[in-house]
Amino acid sequence: MNCPAQPRRCRLVFVVVAVIVGIGCHRPPNTSSDVMVEFQIKPDPVRVGPVVISFTLTDAGNHPVTGAQIAVEADMSHAGMSPVFAQANEVRPARYESHLSLAMAGGWVILLHGTLPHGEKLERQFDVRDVRPKLGEL
Amino acid sequence: MNQASIPSERNIDSPPFDLMQVPVLGPLFRWRYARPFLQAPLLVVSVTMILHGLFGPSLAPKNLATTLSWLHFRGILVLVLLCAGNFFCLACPFMLVRQVARRFSRPRFTWPRVLRNKWVSVALFVLILFTYELFDLWSSPWWTAWLIIGYFLSVLVVDGLFKHASFCKFVCPIGQFNFVASTLSPFEVKVRDQDVCTRCLTKDCIRGRRDAASDLVVIRGCELALFQPRKVGNMDCTFCLDCIHACPHDNVGILSRLPGSELLDDSLRSGIGYFSRRKDLAALAVVFTFGALLNAFGMVSPVYAVENWLGKMLHVSHEAPVLGLIFAVFLILEPVLLLGGAAWLTRTWGSVKRAFVPLVVRYSYGLVPMGFGMWLAHYGFHFLTGLYTIFPVTQNAFASLGWPLLGEPRWTLTGLPANAVQVIEIGFLVLGFAGSLAVTHGLAEEDSPAKPLRAFIPWAVVCAVLFTASLWLIFQPMEMRATLMNG
Repeated sequence: MNCPAQPRRCRLVFVVVAVIVGIGCHRPPNTSSDVMVEFQIKPDPVRVGPVVISFTLTDAGNHPVTGAQIAVEADMSHAGMSPVFAQANEVRPARYESHLSLAMAGGWVILLHGTLPHGEKLERQFDVRDVRPKLGEL
Repeated sequence: MNQASIPSERNIDSPPFDLMQVPVLGPLFRWRYARPFLQAPLLVVSVTMILHGLFGPSLAPKNLATTLSWLHFRGILVLVLLCAGNFFCLACPFMLVRQVARRFSRPRFTWPRVLRNKWVSVALFVLILFTYELFDLWSSPWWTAWLIIGYFLSVLVVDGLFKHASFCKFVCPIGQFNFVASTLSPFEVKVRDQDVCTRCLTKDCIRGRRDAASDLVVIRGCELALFQPRKVGNMDCTFCLDCIHACPHDNVGILSRLPGSELLDDSLRSGIGYFSRRKDLAALAVVFTFGALLNAFGMVSPVYAVENWLGKMLHVSHEAPVLGLIFAVFLILEPVLLLGGAAWLTRTWGSVKRAFVPLVVRYSYGLVPMGFGMWLAHYGFHFLTGLYTIFPVTQNAFASLGWPLLGEPRWTLTGLPANAVQVIEIGFLVLGFAGSLAVTHGLAEEDSPAKPLRAFIPWAVVCAVLFTASLWLIFQPMEMRATLMNG
């Protein structure tokens, strides 16, 4: 393509490429928060059926974060499956627990949505990649 | 066999139903801008999917790119192919972009002669199936968006360099899927009256209609080299309507026919040749059929056990070589054993005189209905069980833009119950099994009029094996897995 002879076309191609590359290089930023979440899921290995999700919240100074209101959501990695929701209860200071039932084997993503005592929002995501079928199934 | 005579005999008894005669549809399809009119909404949807895939939630069930691609598009595609025809290629958004690009730059080259076959597209078809499993494309909106972008760029590059519809005919894996599946569709683009074509002097359906004064083509002829009077079936037909618009005699319609009947027809086809001589087309049919089982196998629990067992046997922790081996077993070893064994038995026991490879090629098309049944069962399952997910995902997309126009997303809205959908899946498989039995029996009758049953039984066994495997697959606990192994 001869650019000097066809500047309009060149500009168009440049803009299209720049937009595509610009868009493509963008990735959604992670939600940032100073709160640390120590996440645990039982049983181990995780199997289809009831699971217990527990997590501990600590702030940047490693102090426990108590009194948070946290909702737990479990989604499959594939579209089209119904998510599972539950509320997390604070079972001891800064230690939260939630009971869910996972309906299908495979890759799951656990989302924590919540509000900290000072009103700050908390959003965290944990991958549970390998939920196994119930015992007795393959 | 005189298969070519069968449709005309049928035509005498009962004229085929013509979609072009249907109110609203007929005038719409006759309208010169029907294709861009149908493509434009899909282009908008595609761009939305790209933007949401790149900028929206990274979780697949909450993103339009993954939800629309892997649930709704695939499901609607196979159902439309089953109930009507290759109408997705008609409304293909990639071709709209290509048309616009060709206003700026005209292609100069013709597609290389050595590549005028389906081998490239068969390889791409396998590659897409492989990358889908290896990179868990269904779980990544970002990669799904890039897949769509990659498709647009490929179309622009290929059809920007090469004339006619080179991308559609020789490259596009979705197109090849549609071509094979549409052999089972109830409608085809076809001439209404062969005598009109015999008298026609201009052949605009292939050459394009020219302006009398300037001699420039004003309405394009078939870009896929399908000359209407000698076109047989739906293979390579994108339903683009070019021939319908170009025909000066209004002699091309979208006519009903017996689904799958073209799989029995081995007459010379315009733009294709003889089915029985096209090893590349047979390979496409084999990948289509066995790939259906393979793609479903990747979604059930036993695949874990198989991959882990193979990983231990091979002492590898990366998924790629293990997956490669599973692909080789499904797409090479299994077809070679099943088709090779059946062909050998057909020749020896059924006394069919055809050479071995042409026999395999010929009967491989007979398995297409079974493969389509499995695609329908698999994609239909995801589509129907996730039918309503489009609503909360769209609600969420609007809400994330600060326009909660549609209220709070109702994430529990999913689709039909899985146990109800399973009945429909079984129905699709039975339909596919019956179709494959009918086609292979028809071929056997033609090959061995004296002992048709002997020629048919080996292929019936192959069909039964595939049917049993398909049934087993849909009864397995499904596993929406992420990466299986450590790699």
